[in-house]
Amino acid sequence: MLKLSSIIAAGLAVGLSFSATAGTLEDVKKRGMLSCGVSSGLAGFSQKDEKGAWSGLDVDVCRAVAAAVLGDESKVQYKPLTAKERFTALQSGEVDLLSRNTTWTHTRDTSLGLNFAGVNYYDGQGFMVSKKLGVKSAMELDGASACIQAGTTTELNMADYFRANGMKYTAVTFDTSDLTRQGFESGRCDVLTSDQSQLYAIRIGLKDPSSAMVLPEVISKEPLGPVVSQGDDAWFNIVRWSMFALIEAEFLGVNSANVDKMKAEGKPGQKRLLGTEGDAGEKLGLSADWAYNIVKQVGNYGESFERNVGMGSPLKIARGLNAQWNQGGILYSPPVR
Amino acid sequence: MREFQALPAQPAPVDTVGPIGWMKTNLFSTPINAVVSISIFAFLVYVLPDTIDWLFFSANWVGSTQDVCSAEGAGDGACWVFVSAWMQQFIYGSYPDPELWRVNAALVALGLVIAAPYLLPKHFRNTVGVPLFLLFPFIGAAFLDGRIFGLEYVSTDFWGGFSLNIFLAAASIIIAFPLSFLWALGRRSDMPFVRSVCVILIEFFRGVPVLALFFMGSVMLPLFFPEGVTIDKLLRVWIVLILFMSGYMAEVFRGGFQAIPQGQYEAADSLGLSYWQKTLLIIFPQVIKVSMPNILATFVMLFKNTTFLLIIGIFEILNTTQTALTNSNWLEGHAAEGYIFVGLVFWCCCFGMSMISSNIEKKLDTSHRS
Repeated sequence: MLKLSSIIAAGLAVGLSFSATAGTLEDVKKRGMLSCGVSSGLAGFSQKDEKGAWSGLDVDVCRAVAAAVLGDESKVQYKPLTAKERFTALQSGEVDLLSRNTTWTHTRDTSLGLNFAGVNYYDGQGFMVSKKLGVKSAMELDGASACIQAGTTTELNMADYFRANGMKYTAVTFDTSDLTRQGFESGRCDVLTSDQSQLYAIRIGLKDPSSAMVLPEVISKEPLGPVVSQGDDAWFNIVRWSMFALIEAEFLGVNSANVDKMKAEGKPGQKRLLGTEGDAGEKLGLSADWAYNIVKQVGNYGESFERNVGMGSPLKIARGLNAQWNQGGILYSPPVR
Repeated sequence: MREFQALPAQPAPVDTVGPIGWMKTNLFSTPINAVVSISIFAFLVYVLPDTIDWLFFSANWVGSTQDVCSAEGAGDGACWVFVSAWMQQFIYGSYPDPELWRVNAALVALGLVIAAPYLLPKHFRNTVGVPLFLLFPFIGAAFLDGRIFGLEYVSTDFWGGFSLNIFLAAASIIIAFPLSFLWALGRRSDMPFVRSVCVILIEFFRGVPVLALFFMGSVMLPLFFPEGVTIDKLLRVWIVLILFMSGYMAEVFRGGFQAIPQGQYEAADSLGLSYWQKTLLIIFPQVIKVSMPNILATFVMLFKNTTFLLIIGIFEILNTTQTALTNSNWLEGHAAEGYIFVGLVFWCCCFGMSMISSNIEKKLDTSHRS
């Protein structure tokens, strides 16, 4: 009987884990693993491949933090979370970091006990039309019928936008994004509206992707970014600056190919970022080569963008808002000094 | 005297035997039946050729990327390449390649544990077969986890696919079995406290939808633990499944108890058997026999319910399929292929289980029906 109970106890112990609450950084270092909450499937942002390996723009934030803290981007436990359980997982300490296309809003930032560490993708609601329609701007859409996924903020944004511009439209609502696409394809509506990042994924699913185009207008603000628990400022700084390091590396022209050269003989700014000069890493409680590891193992923001959602991926999303501030976008990292 | 000679037997009229006779009695016996038969037949003629063509003849079978299906000259039917490329994920989840033998071994062990009562000699059944059966979930989980056995540690984040559906369903029902029996006993007990606790448990887990229970387990439960203590998500889900299953099975057992004639209890009492002797030796075997069809039906239900886990982000087979559909390299619309595959897998398993269950029913049938 003793044997039986000890086996049962062992079985339960397998799933039960205690972690000290000294600080997330110490916990992660002790565990040797970063626990990162991601979406269980969103094209280009966090997705699994046939081998079970994770990739995506959101996943790259997890990898960057792991590279900065542990020196190895592969030391990440990915916790797929649904939209409903994501904040609980963060609050209960199941994940150290949530990188799951989460929109930064006032309510979430102020009332949920969490902090947004920054923005890694500026999304917004957009329109896709058939090229045959000959429309070049959303302002020409008066009287159009629109395919919308039901029960989303998309519906409300759409209503606001058309009312504000004194235009009329007919809504044709569908339950899932797959049905919405089929409705658009079969000509039930002139225009399909959804978040821009989703429009590109939907466009690929069309029988003839080149027959449709995404209009330039963005009618809502959806800044997506990584989230951490409130009350651990040291950890907040690490996540925030790991993301800034991705952006700053692109701004400074450092990428995974030339990072070794830049570290040894780069300009002062590059050397400060990569740890040959200054003490940026030490101030974060990390090693001096924290940013070097990020760029070496994950790449800079531009590389990550092109590989996952940009021209190097099937999605082919243009940089748009997500370009550097001196390239027509709004990505801006404070200087590392 | 003329001897009676029977005329040689005439063949039955053409329209009562053979295919024509069968059609006449089964398909065209009344005008309404005839209309229904003809319209179903017309529908099949209309639908089947295209469906079969899509499923088989125009389908693409060989390859490893979706480009095979969209290439010039490729068939415009189903893209089974999607299923074959993702097969390992569908079956094993992300369990690491070199450790896959452990999943296979655990599946085989599960089969053996279930078959043990048939294979073992009679006197080993209660001493070896039953304890092995009851311990399997714990040993199996520890084996897949690996730490206790000194194997490489595979965290539950990597478990997934159809094998996870099987393990979760099996591990839940095995533990729910004794638990629900106790609940059912408690509900019939004379002790008011035990009875009310059991009634509350049973009614709670039967009355609350399983989706709500999953949400409670995955979203609310972690908030009740002290900070720094986390219980593995899969373990929480497993406990929810056990309790849910126990609620249902307890009612199945209660039905079984009610079917046992009062005389059996009285006979056991008059032999001087204690409560547990009476319950385990006299009543339990008869309850099992009576309840078996319902137990197996409940199990099939639980097995299918494991797909609900997709709403809390566990990578069982349906969630894996949806994840595969959102991979940016597989965006060209393979939903139909994926869901047909999942449906087929579940149908095969459930059909197999109902075959086994009718077999078990026959084996247990020592009924007094004439």
